[in-house]
Amino acid sequence: MTESIVDARGLSCPQPVLLSLSLIKKQKTGELTVIVDSQVSKENVLRAAQSEGWNLSKAEESRTECRLFLKK
Amino acid sequence: MPPIFKKIVFFIKKTLGIKDPEDNPQKPMSGLSSRGIIIFEHTSDVIRSETLLKAAGLDVRVKGPPPEIRTGCDLVIEFPLILELEIREILGRNRIKLMKIAPMQDHLLEPVSLFQVKDFGDYLMVRAANMKITVEKSTRWIVNVSGGGCPDVPYLSEQLIGKNLLETSEPRAMGHTLCGYALQLAYEEMKRQWPS
Repeated sequence: MTESIVDARGLSCPQPVLLSLSLIKKQKTGELTVIVDSQVSKENVLRAAQSEGWNLSKAEESRTECRLFLKK
Repeated sequence: MPPIFKKIVFFIKKTLGIKDPEDNPQKPMSGLSSRGIIIFEHTSDVIRSETLLKAAGLDVRVKGPPPEIRTGCDLVIEFPLILELEIREILGRNRIKLMKIAPMQDHLLEPVSLFQVKDFGDYLMVRAANMKITVEKSTRWIVNVSGGGCPDVPYLSEQLIGKNLLETSEPRAMGHTLCGYALQLAYEEMKRQWPS
């Protein structure tokens, strides 16, 4: 099983989505982690990932960032 | 008005070429034209009316209201006065309430374009006012919709993401706010920009 990380902190939309999609298209299946630092980025990345068939398996949120664990 | 809405109104006004009176205080009032404006209370009524009137083949355009008009929402519909009865009939039939119909002063400003197009390689983004839409070039799929601050933006994103740009419903059919209208502008510009 492959695991990869996208660090999209400090980037504004649509960049977190585009970085995530780029990895999603390379990886096809498995697990990946996306780190974002805004609620809007979190929602947009999740919508884009779900439209590609990926699901959120876990989310870890702190005051400054959110780690989204995606799986397919 | 909350600051986020002030910002949205500012961008929409810029997009549509609306200026406040203090922007051009010396400009004299000129004569009346053969066109009129319809003033609505709600932006959603402007969007619905534009859709209905254009579908009926009428020559109407959404614009910013003249500075002296202080009632209604931040958008008006401009139309040839000769069509007033027909327009009233269409809007009445669809139960759309209009606040006022007035002859248009010909000093009204024309809309200007305020689009930002950004190429991200495999993706193309168009920004109109406060809204952005991003499409994957190879599939024409909408991959991101962002911006706004209006309550219908999450719904619009949900409806559009993962859909083909050329096959999905237009944002104007789903949105009811200034953000929805800005997204419609971005959507139309994206379709214009699309390489054939």
